Amino acid sequence: MSKLNNLFKEAKKNKKKVFIGFVTSGDPNYASSKAIIKEMTKSCQIIEAGVSFNTSTSDSPIIMEANDRAINSGMNMSKTFKLIKEVKRETKTDTCFVLMTYLNPVIVYGIKKFINSCNSVGIAGVIIVDGSLNSPEEKILINGLSKKNIGYTKIISPTNSDKFIQQSIRNCKNSFLYITSYYGLTGSKNVNIENVKKMIKRVRKYSKEIPVSVGFGVKTPTQVKQVSRYADGVICGSSIVNKIAEGHKKRLKSKKLATFVSSYVKKLSKGIGR
Amino acid sequence: MKIPPFKEINRPTKDGFWINKKTKERYGGQYISPLLVPNLKRVEEGFFKAIKDKKFMKELNEELLTFIGVNTPIHFSPELTKLAGGEKKVGRIYLKRTDLHTNHSHKPVSAYSCCKLAKYLGFKKILTETGAFQNGRAVASACSALGLDLDIYVGANDAKKLAINKDISALHGANIIEVHDSTKSLLPAMAAALRAFQSEPDSMYVVGSVAGPHPYPLMVRTFASVIGRITKKQFKNLVGKDPSTIFCVCGGGSNMLSLQYPYLKTKNTKLYAVESSGKGLATGKHGATIAGGGKMGILLGMQSKVLLDGENIAESFTEASGLDFSSIGTEVAYLHSIGKIKFLTATDIEAKKTFMMMARKVGLICAIEACYVIHAAIKEIRRTGKPKQNHLIHLCGSGEPNVAQMMEFMKKNK
Repeated sequence: MSKLNNLFKEAKKNKKKVFIGFVTSGDPNYASSKAIIKEMTKSCQIIEAGVSFNTSTSDSPIIMEANDRAINSGMNMSKTFKLIKEVKRETKTDTCFVLMTYLNPVIVYGIKKFINSCNSVGIAGVIIVDGSLNSPEEKILINGLSKKNIGYTKIISPTNSDKFIQQSIRNCKNSFLYITSYYGLTGSKNVNIENVKKMIKRVRKYSKEIPVSVGFGVKTPTQVKQVSRYADGVICGSSIVNKIAEGHKKRLKSKKLATFVSSYVKKLSKGIGR
Repeated sequence: MKIPPFKEINRPTKDGFWINKKTKERYGGQYISPLLVPNLKRVEEGFFKAIKDKKFMKELNEELLTFIGVNTPIHFSPELTKLAGGEKKVGRIYLKRTDLHTNHSHKPVSAYSCCKLAKYLGFKKILTETGAFQNGRAVASACSALGLDLDIYVGANDAKKLAINKDISALHGANIIEVHDSTKSLLPAMAAALRAFQSEPDSMYVVGSVAGPHPYPLMVRTFASVIGRITKKQFKNLVGKDPSTIFCVCGGGSNMLSLQYPYLKTKNTKLYAVESSGKGLATGKHGATIAGGGKMGILLGMQSKVLLDGENIAESFTEASGLDFSSIGTEVAYLHSIGKIKFLTATDIEAKKTFMMMARKVGLICAIEACYVIHAAIKEIRRTGKPKQNHLIHLCGSGEPNVAQMMEFMKKNK
């Protein structure tokens, strides 16, 4: 069983929900990002680490700016693996790491090499934003990652058809399904609870088992609490990245920046009421 | 002249891939966020419905003939023929004048058609991107004519360069949004338009080139091929046979496929594409995705050849905003991979000198983009042309937006 499956199974058994924090790896630079992620392991059960791509077609301006900061500081796929490896070694954390990126960085790095690196570093899951359902690249990734017991997450949104949702559940292996609470870009609006309820109902028509996590517009502990009533996991991204940008503008570095960001993440995570 | 009907002669798979059978490379596809899936499905289904709808197509063709004026002339150019070595040595050079369309470039044909489709499908607003503002202006005019709202995404650097077309787009009522991401050029403008499409499913995205996720490459070349369909008939009427060679400039590839698509299976017609080698291929500062050794990549919803910078998309460099693109249309990249199209290049300085030559010797102010192809075509015809051959060059835009830039060049080079 995959790490992510275990995590959600354990949480369900203990009637708890999973808190997922997103950051762009290497934002604003390697050292500060490492410090931030190390601190975040204290309050996140899953850390979603974004691997930057300069032509992303689905990120909000907040994430785009984070991508630029990371790329300008020299971040790339192999440095992301190195960073997570170091964080895991230095913290001995149980936190699961999920990589979120686009296909281009993966195919340039090499799909097989990517799967092997995920395995050797101990990555728990992968999300490819533009990995389309029928693409040969997605098939190779799903097969390769499944063999190593690494999860593959699919994203679905309120405008997707039932057929698409069914296919996404099928392609989502050893992992959680990522539901966006509205259509649009990450962090551009506030979470839409009515959509969340409807979407979970739609998913449950086709799968009673698959863990569902909800993201997009979850920015406050209250919103985390609201979402966690319905979802198995709650994802906070843009608001955390915004906090990094804020701290970076104040010229905070490494540990000070990490404390500044992680105290906010801690507050958010408490919303989940564990 | 009536518009000859469209014939599908290079069909992609139903997922929108052109597959090179030898190398197994796949060009095209729909690599997008799941949030865009329903929007693209609506466009795809609507497009296939519309092109089968006789009433829609009849109306569209009439408007292309009357409002856009797609029946632009093809004429013999004695000056270019002389420059290439003379009729006795290299044959005759002809120009296809799509600069004479309403809005002065090849873009209005696909722009108007896509906007007409949007209206047919019940969309109220259009989203588009632009580099040289040729597409921006063409879509702005179409939206005015069809009563649609419009947001144009343009790279902040391009917005500064081409003030006239930007102003004309604004006069048509377009809302112009400057994009300050990464290279501030066409590529991030297209990414921004795609992001907007994800947020506004009630708006239809109109791509300015034969690029982006399926069905856009297929849809844009199908609509734009009106230019080539008319050309094929016109050229036969004028010369009595098909051209020996056809030369088109290539950034994303829309003007190339618009003219060359109906000739893909024509024997004895050799097809050429010309990319901008900017400051020179060796300097690394260029916009030549194919000639500059681009690799397979996935961006803007498609798999195609791309100029890479590590895992990211590299910046392209050329003074022609319409060619400033680090990738290339999917079908064009496929056609190159199977050896159907030969690629040539011209530098920025060669294009500027050609602009002056066209102004002084031919009497035409050509879009700077067209000057790359004119330069490379003359060079190639001089080298390989044979007597009794007939060569066709696509003069794909007017140079009026380049006047300020070229006045500076003229002053500096007095």
